[in-house]
Amino acid sequence: MSSLLLLGLLRRSGVALLTILAGAMVVFFAMKAAPGDPALAALGENARPELVAAFRRLHKLDLPAGAQFATWITGALRGDFGRSLTLAGGVPVGQLIATRLPVTAFIGLYALALAVLVSLTIGTVAALSRGTVIDTAMTSFAVLGVSMPDFWLGYVLVFFLALNVPIFPSYGFVSPADSLPGALLSGFLPALAIAAPMAAVFSRVLRAALLDVMHRPYVQVQRSLGYSAPFVFVHTIFRNALIPYVTVVGLQVRYLLGGVVVIERVFGIPGIGSLMVDGAFGRDYPVIQACALTFLVIVLATNLLVDLVCTRLDPKARG
Amino acid sequence: MMGRAFRQGLGSRTFVVGLLLTALTLFGVLAGPLISPFSATEMDFIAVLTPPDMTHWLGTDSFGRDVLARVLAGGRISLFVSLCGVGIGALLGVAAGMSAAWRGGLYEAGLMAACDLLFAFPSFVLALFMMVVLGFGLQNIVIAIALAYLPIFARLSRNLTRTLMHEPFVQAARLMGQGGARILTREILPNIFSTLLVQASVGIAFGIVMEAGLSFLGLGVQPPTPSLGVILADGREYFTRGPWVLTLTGLVVSVALLGFNLLGDALRDLTDPRLRRAVGE
Repeated sequence: MSSLLLLGLLRRSGVALLTILAGAMVVFFAMKAAPGDPALAALGENARPELVAAFRRLHKLDLPAGAQFATWITGALRGDFGRSLTLAGGVPVGQLIATRLPVTAFIGLYALALAVLVSLTIGTVAALSRGTVIDTAMTSFAVLGVSMPDFWLGYVLVFFLALNVPIFPSYGFVSPADSLPGALLSGFLPALAIAAPMAAVFSRVLRAALLDVMHRPYVQVQRSLGYSAPFVFVHTIFRNALIPYVTVVGLQVRYLLGGVVVIERVFGIPGIGSLMVDGAFGRDYPVIQACALTFLVIVLATNLLVDLVCTRLDPKARG
Repeated sequence: MMGRAFRQGLGSRTFVVGLLLTALTLFGVLAGPLISPFSATEMDFIAVLTPPDMTHWLGTDSFGRDVLARVLAGGRISLFVSLCGVGIGALLGVAAGMSAAWRGGLYEAGLMAACDLLFAFPSFVLALFMMVVLGFGLQNIVIAIALAYLPIFARLSRNLTRTLMHEPFVQAARLMGQGGARILTREILPNIFSTLLVQASVGIAFGIVMEAGLSFLGLGVQPPTPSLGVILADGREYFTRGPWVLTLTGLVVSVALLGFNLLGDALRDLTDPRLRRAVGE
């Protein structure tokens, strides 16, 4: 790695850290501005005043907003996000996030892997058979995939697959920590539902990128030098088409996380997404703040990773 | 320019199919009672959960309400919510993006940093968060969708404006003493409008999915108001007894979204490709 590249990476990491800090401020103060008293929401409208006061002290709601933010952000750096207002008499939110993050990471990566696998196949086949019936069929599938709401697709998949193919459970999730095959089976349909629209987007990008690279002069030169078609495809065309592909895959992680939120809730998967939805219903402010911030960190970390992969793939960006 | 693009479009299958599906959707949503004579809210306890037949094309739900009538009424609400959300997001985003490109400096850096921050949250997470801050309900979904779309339109219109700012026709307008606001709206906006329109047509499809997702979870439009998400959530309740409600409603939604997406795709191909390459889309 050249020093120029390292400098760029450092700069980008710095920007990401500043973004996280700004995001934390937005999340915290927007939540403070929300109408309704969290203490009354948790204890009921007719709670005794001394109970309300104790609740406020426990959750540090009696401090000024600035001091609350300072306590929250310094705690968050150590993984302490305060205590839940509703769950089991105040479970530490950091603990909730820590137990649920692996589940979300598992289901998200599973969906991403499925989407990449499907799109690499479809995109390549469609590009190689450009203009034929196969190409039209694959391209149509791709547009259809983007048009189906993922949570609906999840239900239909369960209805038509889980009821006919008994190896897929229709509800419930086995944690990957307990049994990896069990998690892969029980997570398959949810992951597939999240993956479908993304696989569609990825295939279209890969097809377009492959077709674009195929007609570049450097590919023609390589062909005319006598390299075999498969060699040129694997070493030059595919490698160059991967740059826009990886960029789009990275950008779509934002979208994937949105799908994860809904699907986790629909299938009863205990991840960050369902935690956030439960928090939304219970007006559990610390939980929502921590979940929103976690999602922000995941997106920014992915962006950095994509930058890194793209500079590895693209010699021009390596400097 | 639009007329020529339209004639060109008639030669493209994607454009024709997309236009037909979108027209069909708009017709169904606007002229619902002509298609299904039933009321979207009237209950009929003799015809509870009847499967699709000639009278009730999409069957009835657990209150004996005609599902097709509900889907058409719900579609009207969902489309309205999405249109307003994307419209507001586009309006504010374009204003922010164009003025940022024009004024530059700290103003531009600050605005774009704020947009980047908004864009770093997954759209659905941002919407969910806004629903907690603002409260559940219809008008707040509009705000949530607008916030999700604001940074996208801001970035797009800023990049487009920057590519055009130094073109001779803009320079000429400047030399003639036209003000910034006038140049932006009279000279630059007409030239980037078609690209923004493409983004909006894809955005409307995604706005509908977002409304459906929020309402499906119970965080958006609240029953008895029928929106697509509310109908889908209803269908989930009695999925085993009447699977057609969820299945067919979703199918109708998918076909409508397919129309918007195809139309967006076709328009993208028809609008100026040079401009798209310039912003790296």
